Amino acid sequence: MKILLLLFALMLPVAAFAAEQTYRLRVDGLACAYCAYGLEKALMKVDGVEHVDVDFEQGAVIVDTARDVGFSEDQLRRMVNDAGFTLRGVERIEAAAQ
Amino acid sequence: MLIARLGACGLLTIAGSLFAHDPVFAPGPHTLFKGGIELHLGSERVQDDAAVDKAGELSLLYGITGDWVAGVQIPYAYGDSGHGFESTTLLTKYRFWRNDRPRVQESAALLARVILDSGQVRSGATDAVLGLTYGYESLTWYRWAAARYRYNGETDAGVDRGDVLLLDAVIGVRPRRLEYRAPDSVWMLELNYERQARARASGAAVPDTGGARLFLSPGLMWTWRNLAVKPGVQIPVWGDLNGAQRNPDYRALIEVELHL
Repeated sequence: MKILLLLFALMLPVAAFAAEQTYRLRVDGLACAYCAYGLEKALMKVDGVEHVDVDFEQGAVIVDTARDVGFSEDQLRRMVNDAGFTLRGVERIEAAAQ
Repeated sequence: MLIARLGACGLLTIAGSLFAHDPVFAPGPHTLFKGGIELHLGSERVQDDAAVDKAGELSLLYGITGDWVAGVQIPYAYGDSGHGFESTTLLTKYRFWRNDRPRVQESAALLARVILDSGQVRSGATDAVLGLTYGYESLTWYRWAAARYRYNGETDAGVDRGDVLLLDAVIGVRPRRLEYRAPDSVWMLELNYERQARARASGAAVPDTGGARLFLSPGLMWTWRNLAVKPGVQIPVWGDLNGAQRNPDYRALIEVELHL
């Protein structure tokens, strides 16, 4: 029983950070990590957003969220503009069912 | 720069970049994200043959929009020329043009400052600075240019201290690949030109005042997440000062900023 509980406890954090969907934003103007921090901060305020990363070479912001998070393109465009950048496109990728 | 002293070491400088991804001494077009708060601490040291002057400074800025920031700056001077709070500065910057491209941001901004007559030693004069700045940022290199004009108000004693023109050109290089969650550094070389009109008292020119100077200023912009540290040194390389004036051997500045 103890082993089962331990295994369950070990699985909890994995489940908590496993993104169910990913938004990949194509953002122009990304040339500085310090400047992109404001965009991460705004996105992380949204309930269900679990992780934000930036790929500068690809000009992409990767937003991992829970399944019930739904961003509209207008909403994302506003958030990106308020952070000082320009949104060029959005791609939504659902995680494969487990 | 941090302080607006005119006299000690013949300082002609005015509060400089403040915003983190701008050069150390010259202002750039960077602003703050909407709703963001920038906490800024600075320390300056100016040395010449006669004295060492030092100043600390605390600034608080707020991002009104993604392109418009405003704040307040409170300097405190300490050193051979005396101790005490210096004039509080109200400042704002508006980025009116932004050309975002993949991996590149090019922009221009207008900036304004009002330097209140609020220091420990009051002269009765309120000063103002207007400026225009341009910047180009990419993943590998940067360039900036700026022009500022400082209108120095007339003191209660009837002294016109002479307006100041400042011109800057800066180049920056990022030696390592940019990673979002890793520390980042950009090495910069600034060329800072300052020209001050001769002071006038009761309509007559004051001797040993005014003139022009050029500084070469290496600096570093180190950032990690929401923290930035920017040290830099201004080294005088040319001068055309009227009469006999104190000339700094160097001006050193370090700034620490946190975005909240």
